[in-house]
Amino acid sequence: MDSLLSVFPSKDFSLLGIILVAPLLGAFVNGVWGRRLGRDAVRLMAITAIAVSFVAALLTFLALDREVTHAGHGHVKLAWTAWDWLYTTGKSETQIPIALRFSVDALSGVMMLVITGVGLLIHIYASTYMWDDKSYWRFFCYLNLFVFSMLVLVLGDNMPLLFVGWEGVGLCSYLLIGFWYGKMANAAAGKKAFIANRIGDFGLICAMFLFVHYTGALDWNGIEAGSGSLVTVNEATQVHVWPIGGGQFTGFLKFLQPDSPITITAATAVGLALLLGATGKSAQIPLYVWLPDAMAGPTPVSALIHAATMVTAGIYLICRLNFVFVLAPGVMATVAVIGAATAFLAATIALVQNDIKKVLAYSTVSQLGFMFLGVGMGAFTAGFFHVFTHAFFKACLFLGAGSVIHGMHARIHDDDKAQDMRKMGGLRKYMPLTFWTFLISTAAIVGFPLTSGFFSKDEILFKTMTTELVHPDAERLGKKVTFVQSLWGARDPSHFYVPPAWLGTALYWVGIAAATMTAFYMSRVVILTFFGEFRGWKLGRPSQIDAHEAAAHDDAHGDDAHGDDDGEHHHEEDLTKPGYAPHESPRPMTIPLILLAVFAAFAGILNPGLLKHFGLPLPLEHWLEPLFEESVKVGVHAKEGAEHMELMCTAGAFGAFAVGVGLAYWVYVVQKGAPAKQWAEAAPKLYKLLLDKWRVDEAYEASVLSGVDALADTATSVDKGVVDGILARLTALLVAAFGTILRALQTGVVHVYAGMMVVGLAGLGWFFVMPHPDGHVVEKGSGDYSIVAAPGVGYGYIWAEDGAKRPEKEVFSGTAAFPLHVEPGNTKKVELKVRNAFGIVGTKTFEVTAPAKAAPAEVIEMGQNGHGS
Amino acid sequence: MLNLLLLLDIVPGPANPAAPVPETPQGPWMGFAYFGFCAVLAVVGAIATVASPNPIRGAMGLLLMIISIAGLFLALHAQFIAAIQVIVYAGAIVVLFLFVIMLLGSDAQTPSDQRGRIPRFGAAALFAGLGLAALTLLGRTMAKPKLPGDVGSDFGSIDSIGKVLFTDMLVPFEISSALLIVAVVGAIAVARGKHGELAEKGALNK
Amino acid sequence: MIPVEYYVGLSAILFLIGGIGFLVRRNVLVALMSIEVMLNATNLALVAFNRQHAQAHTGQVLSFFVIAVAAAEAAVGLAIVLSFFRLKRTVRSDEADLLRN
Repeated sequence: MDSLLSVFPSKDFSLLGIILVAPLLGAFVNGVWGRRLGRDAVRLMAITAIAVSFVAALLTFLALDREVTHAGHGHVKLAWTAWDWLYTTGKSETQIPIALRFSVDALSGVMMLVITGVGLLIHIYASTYMWDDKSYWRFFCYLNLFVFSMLVLVLGDNMPLLFVGWEGVGLCSYLLIGFWYGKMANAAAGKKAFIANRIGDFGLICAMFLFVHYTGALDWNGIEAGSGSLVTVNEATQVHVWPIGGGQFTGFLKFLQPDSPITITAATAVGLALLLGATGKSAQIPLYVWLPDAMAGPTPVSALIHAATMVTAGIYLICRLNFVFVLAPGVMATVAVIGAATAFLAATIALVQNDIKKVLAYSTVSQLGFMFLGVGMGAFTAGFFHVFTHAFFKACLFLGAGSVIHGMHARIHDDDKAQDMRKMGGLRKYMPLTFWTFLISTAAIVGFPLTSGFFSKDEILFKTMTTELVHPDAERLGKKVTFVQSLWGARDPSHFYVPPAWLGTALYWVGIAAATMTAFYMSRVVILTFFGEFRGWKLGRPSQIDAHEAAAHDDAHGDDAHGDDDGEHHHEEDLTKPGYAPHESPRPMTIPLILLAVFAAFAGILNPGLLKHFGLPLPLEHWLEPLFEESVKVGVHAKEGAEHMELMCTAGAFGAFAVGVGLAYWVYVVQKGAPAKQWAEAAPKLYKLLLDKWRVDEAYEASVLSGVDALADTATSVDKGVVDGILARLTALLVAAFGTILRALQTGVVHVYAGMMVVGLAGLGWFFVMPHPDGHVVEKGSGDYSIVAAPGVGYGYIWAEDGAKRPEKEVFSGTAAFPLHVEPGNTKKVELKVRNAFGIVGTKTFEVTAPAKAAPAEVIEMGQNGHGS
Repeated sequence: MLNLLLLLDIVPGPANPAAPVPETPQGPWMGFAYFGFCAVLAVVGAIATVASPNPIRGAMGLLLMIISIAGLFLALHAQFIAAIQVIVYAGAIVVLFLFVIMLLGSDAQTPSDQRGRIPRFGAAALFAGLGLAALTLLGRTMAKPKLPGDVGSDFGSIDSIGKVLFTDMLVPFEISSALLIVAVVGAIAVARGKHGELAEKGALNK
Repeated sequence: MIPVEYYVGLSAILFLIGGIGFLVRRNVLVALMSIEVMLNATNLALVAFNRQHAQAHTGQVLSFFVIAVAAAEAAVGLAIVLSFFRLKRTVRSDEADLLRN
């Protein structure tokens, strides 16, 4: 091990290159030659690529661990520079390098392992799930490309490189969601995802600009070093919100000018910009609308991208730039509030959805809200731990749902109907492995004690309750203002905003409500899908089928032919005979399920917050400590009596779990779903609202999208009417008119053209026939001037000075130059008459002014003691 | 002719009396007579070319002008050019013109055209005016005409021209030979028309 | 001995005659012959000036090339006249307006 790792020094850790290049190579080979290679080769290439990457990631992690133990304390990084890429110019002409530099530290090390590990399992799963797809090779090309992009995002050592990865995962997400692009809905979902991401990217780019301007660096070390300049007190260097960009309203807009300009610190601006990017990528309010639609993609895609890796990029970003966020407690509070609100909102929607994948999608949004809540309240480790555990149990849930859908496809080949939970039930006996893994992962997500989800969620809720955010510069600035005052009113740079202390408590209760709802709907999913009797016999069959007859055909049934690109199946089924029962998935699909379920169950041991009272260590907290301790010291303050509240908070979380699961059990098992129907009938409008996802999509459609459409329509009509109609046609008309006029001159007869040539020549000749009197004045100094006339063939000149005596007979001589003396300050006029060889005379008058005499230079007498006189 | 020139103030009178009039074996005025004779014939030939309705007469006028100018070349010590003038111009170009005129037969003569007289004559008058203006300018501004100096006996001989042609002016010489080939090919291509020899026959049997 | 200016004057007069002839006559053959007149006038001027500046033979050599080019041009021009005649059965340049408008 030592010898292996001595090959890669920590400053030039090129193993990172292997981690990155392997999936890229897989994507390239599969993309270019995949069609010809055949499915087996494609599968081998893709899985090998990720496996190589995973092994390399493991080795890297071990190397990092060694470095950390060697260093003892402090922030340890293994870095590798591929090459120098760009330079950008910062303030005062400094050059800021942007290099292709990758680094691994505690945070990205864990992320890297999750991406490659979970990615590997999902690749194995997908190799069987997508086996009957026509574009097998394209799927794996995109999937490998996604892993590559995600690794670039996580391993990038500077913001532009992270942005490259950010965009790359957005692109792959679009490609994979719209994988079956033949169906319009899938393509539209892909587009929606990409556009929502793009809106967030705008925030990220603005953040980069602000970093360049304020901190003068774009790599993590540089930003951390320069982060002090993000909180300048000087009003001029803060970010001006109103009037935007500084400046003043003048003239008739003066009424818009506030008494003092409204500014925010650069840290706040950067934080808000980064938050916009994070909400886009991690599906928070307001940009979460793409995630439920993204379920149009194949299930492994949902598992990898929309559960385990891509959507966690936002939280990764916040954790990575934690030293910037803690400088702006207002932004931290915003992050936490958005997270809690999203968790609550998504949970309410998931309560009533009937599509199994949609429930899981909203559950993802809700859990991401929890993560945001955690990092927003300064509990970076807790939030990140939830990312870690969520990757496992959510991937397992999605893959399990995929397995269920795969089984349901034995019955019906329509996607919408195959995913409808109302048509499932009792699958426990047909798919036992899927059932058990699904159950374990559900236990993790609802917070069953001692599962990984229990520990991570509990930690977040505890930290939320017991933390208050503080301003890093509170003593220096001095004056604390309320939220409303911070936005309006007389402002002073020494004002600062700090979120109130009760925020944590309030958000805790919101989190508890969301956790209760999570427990309820996830239990509902399990019960509806796996318990009871199978309700899907009538799917695709006009007549009622007996369960026994159907089971008899079970053994004879192999894999069905699965979808084409459009997701529709053209299985020639005889709809009068009884169909087949759902079946368990093949081994390559169930083994990843098992592995993920094991992790979901036992990964909690990595940070068992509650159990530290029993002497268990907290490895993850200790591992991530060097990254976060400074920020936590500066911006996060544990309330008094925090330690004693732990048991209470845990009790609250446990209560949420118990109430949720218990209620679901009562409604769906004991009462067989009757109360749910009663509640739905009692409040039909509310039910419809929840089913329609609070009509947020429709609201966006009516407001933003209609606005954009209106703009586009305006542009189109201007283009058609003004540009095409008026400008283009007008110019064409003018040209045609000129052409018609000029055509009259084209007689086609050569002699006519010769005649026109002569006319032109005559015009030229006229120039020669008329005389051209002209001249320029030459200054000879001290009042002497000479006027030199322009030469010409056969010219004769007569000079007449004003006031001088005129000769009686004027003779045209050949003297071209005329000397003149003008006193300073005087003007003299000279008339020049020119006669050319044809006897025509022309005249021109020259006026010569001599400048007044300049005052003589003053001479300063210097006395002996150097005084001026 | 000389009177006309005097009128236009071009010729400022007799030659510079200070310079000695060179003696030719035939006498000093022989040169002027020869020049005048050739000049008159040249102008008459040119006017005949331009003004006669019958193109054959025009070609004859052209011939007369060319030979007169060859004579003038001889007076200017340009023997080689004079010879070339007679051989190429009179011997080839005029002959070519005559061939074409005879090929066209009576169609070569177009009746006098009454339409478009004003633009035509207007343009011609404009051109003449320009020319006269230029001549006047020249006449009034040029210095007293000087007699040209003596030249060596080999000035303008075949030897010296040949030497220049094949050393300094080799490139233009070669290029002009290429030009002549192109002209020959082009003339054949243009005159052949679409159906080759049949078309020529058709032109003959009009 | 004749001053060179006489030759130049004669050349100018011949050029004028040729030019006026080209502009006035619409018979293509006569027009071509007028062009020949103009070229000859040019040649005369060239050789005359060479007589005045007798250091080199530039003028005479140039007039040599002018004669060669005039020959080529006359050949091609007459070929065109013949084609045109075959087309329109006339040698009036007024009829040669195929490029009208």
